[in-house]
Amino acid sequence: MGLFDAIDVAGSGLAAERLRMDVTAGNLANAQTTQGANGQPYRRREVVLQEASGQSFGSILASASTSPVNGVQVAGIVEDPAPARRVYDPGHPDADAQGYVTLPNVNPVTEMVDLISASRSYEANVTAMQTAKQLFSKTLELLR
Amino acid sequence: MSLFDTTQLSLEAALRGSSLRQTLLTDNLANVNTPGYQRKDVDFHAALASAMQTGESLETLAFSPTTDSSRTVRPDGSGVDPDQESAELAKNALEYQALVSVAGTRTNILQIAMGVR
Repeated sequence: MGLFDAIDVAGSGLAAERLRMDVTAGNLANAQTTQGANGQPYRRREVVLQEASGQSFGSILASASTSPVNGVQVAGIVEDPAPARRVYDPGHPDADAQGYVTLPNVNPVTEMVDLISASRSYEANVTAMQTAKQLFSKTLELLR
Repeated sequence: MSLFDTTQLSLEAALRGSSLRQTLLTDNLANVNTPGYQRKDVDFHAALASAMQTGESLETLAFSPTTDSSRTVRPDGSGVDPDQESAELAKNALEYQALVSVAGTRTNILQIAMGVR
């Protein structure tokens, strides 16, 4: 238990927000992908976060001193079940018999908002980490 | 009067409490996008004040964090307001630095009294 915990926790937040940014960027990049890995149109992905359960060695050590702080971890990356967009484009190679193309259920506006949210949360974690670092060096000055 | 008097011991306890609070507030910020997360906090001022009133030992005083389940500020059930957490974080950091400064000054006074410098 100490200030290093705060740095670890902020670090877990940074990792989580960075993954959110990566997945959102992946969604934006694949906004027009009609042939995903399984041959179907790409489906929008979303990161689900959860409070870390604290299974690491450090956290077990810390739990001896009843530390309730574990940070955040990724519960999983899930596909958005929202229906795909269907656009009339008979010239498209992936158009069906009626001339409709099934496009991914990615809405660029939603993705941009998610990107801003992830970016701001990342900054908040950076600030928290910097503050913890400052406090720790301030404490070390006591030893001089 | 012993070398480490009540002021020194309460300073140490306050530093411990402030450090714990810093970690909890950082945890809240890290979980700002976690659905259903409820913010944690610790009122170490109140714990310290009651310990000083009841004469409980300040050296072994343990702070117990609380989970605030009454607040929901977002539709996904997260109870964390990032603005408020950032403000509390900044406030707590200043308080911690103030405590460290006082602790440092007291150490200097003791050193001068002992003729170390």
